Amino acid sequence: MDLGFYALQLLTGLAYASTLFLLSVGLSLIFGAMGIVNFAHGSFYMLGAYFLYAFTRGQADGFWGGLLLVLATGFVIGAFVERIFIRRVYARPEEYQILLTYALLLIIEDLVRFFFGTGYRAFPMPQAFAGPLFLLGTPFPSYYLFLIGLAAVSALLLGIFLYRTRLGAWIRAATQDREMLEALGVNVPLLYTVVFGVGIALAALGGAALLPMQAATPGMAVDAVINAFIVVVIGGLASVWGALLGAVLIGLVQALGVLFLPEWAMVFPFALMALTLLLRPWGLLGRPPAVRT
Amino acid sequence: MRLLWLFLALALLGPWFSEYGLKLASEAFILGLYAMAFNLLFRQTGLLSFGQAAFFGLGAYTMALLVARGGWPFPATLPLAFLISALGALFIGFLSIRLSRIYFTMLTLAFAQLLYAVAHKWYAFTGGDNGITDLRPPGIWGESLFYYYVVLFLFALGVLFLWALERSPFGYALRALRDNRARAEAVGINAFGHLLLAFVISGALSGLAGALQGALQRSVFPDYLFWTRSAECILATILGGSGVFLGPAIGATVFLLLRVVVQANTEYWPFFLGALLLLMVLFFPKGLGGLALEMASRRLKGERRGASGS
Repeated sequence: MDLGFYALQLLTGLAYASTLFLLSVGLSLIFGAMGIVNFAHGSFYMLGAYFLYAFTRGQADGFWGGLLLVLATGFVIGAFVERIFIRRVYARPEEYQILLTYALLLIIEDLVRFFFGTGYRAFPMPQAFAGPLFLLGTPFPSYYLFLIGLAAVSALLLGIFLYRTRLGAWIRAATQDREMLEALGVNVPLLYTVVFGVGIALAALGGAALLPMQAATPGMAVDAVINAFIVVVIGGLASVWGALLGAVLIGLVQALGVLFLPEWAMVFPFALMALTLLLRPWGLLGRPPAVRT
Repeated sequence: MRLLWLFLALALLGPWFSEYGLKLASEAFILGLYAMAFNLLFRQTGLLSFGQAAFFGLGAYTMALLVARGGWPFPATLPLAFLISALGALFIGFLSIRLSRIYFTMLTLAFAQLLYAVAHKWYAFTGGDNGITDLRPPGIWGESLFYYYVVLFLFALGVLFLWALERSPFGYALRALRDNRARAEAVGINAFGHLLLAFVISGALSGLAGALQGALQRSVFPDYLFWTRSAECILATILGGSGVFLGPAIGATVFLLLRVVVQANTEYWPFFLGALLLLMVLFFPKGLGGLALEMASRRLKGERRGASGS
């Protein structure tokens, strides 16, 4: 076990963290702006993977076009779902919101089973990432770098969008006081449609980006949504940088856990989440809830 | 009183069921008890626990481990399953009840998944994903009709207990806390203690249901702890109507009947379940029980109006 070996594990953890970030940041945004806990978030992540497969017919040369198409379809589907379903339960207690999105999870999982079957759907590595790269003499898949880059660029663009554009300012305002925002003349329902669309598009992109490394199955949705919850709770709901921090933490904990205590690797993320909730329930970078009097 | 008639009718029905019918009815009582236990929290305190499977599974594993590894007789494991789940609920509740709403939901989910991960990985103790099988209870306990009466008896006991609880000062205190916590605390109700006790009772009853289910299925697997198992009691509750006392039990029965019918015809049961849940949430949030009550009261009102008009 030399230095290169550890560097490889670190890189693996970061690559995993990258897809986790794409998956969770939308969940965080949607909860922050809309107050909706989207149990179906992992299902859209799964749809992203299957859509990439369907758009390219499983051929590696359609990879780049396929990714863009997945991003666009993700947005359209997200906007559509918000308009048709989510919109009806804003005024309801949060139990009903959770149940509605849970119903969507069940439906999407079975639709995928119906259209794609229950088996694995694998995707070949795109040509550009065929050869390995070397780090301290240890070979590693060059695709790792693409995943990390994709997440970094997405985080940067999202940061610019939220903190440097008017639309982003509205979204941040919606997390704090929806009624005030509406009183100022912002079309909040439309804003919600956009937020949901963006969140879903990112999740779909994350699922699609993972496909060359990991085959898609109908069961991946449930695992994904639980991982996304863990990331978001650790990082802090409604915080982009929190989602990033949470994803990196979980990615590294997962990679190191598999290395040192493989039997218990599954337990660590949950333990970390429970610990966070106990010590800092609003998450590492979240805001403590305002005390209502 | 009406509850007692119901139990009597169910008891008389026993000998008429086929072997399969007995199994299905027993499962309905078990799921009913589990959902009623969940609804004690949901309706009386307003807390949405997404981790009831933790206690369901704890009860099931306590029973299974004592029978398979300790050689205990099955009936003797039930009080212990009840107790261990109560202890588990005391621990998890102690940590999660201080958190508010959505965080409570998430933490209960996290703890349940944590237990699932442990049961899944700890081959030496829990058998991992091979589960613990071959749990046929000895002698008369393994017979469907007798087991039906055992389950019915415990179900009835649980329901009567919850019924009494709802009408007790403790039940009123829980609802006061749900409706206005600040005021309830101001008149001297210890919020944390009350909610914790409700959580422990709910967990203990869920554990009892889990142990009964394990013996009915003759096996226990880690999926007893999986979050879809937590969702099951929520689905049954929503289906039957959380605002009606027996709603969760009604929902559990309908849930199981639907599953039998749908699974006989198609493998896409989750799709139907999802579509049904979608419809319930969007159009009938009060559930079947609520719907029935509404129709009954409308008819009653209609009759009165008719009477006064003549």
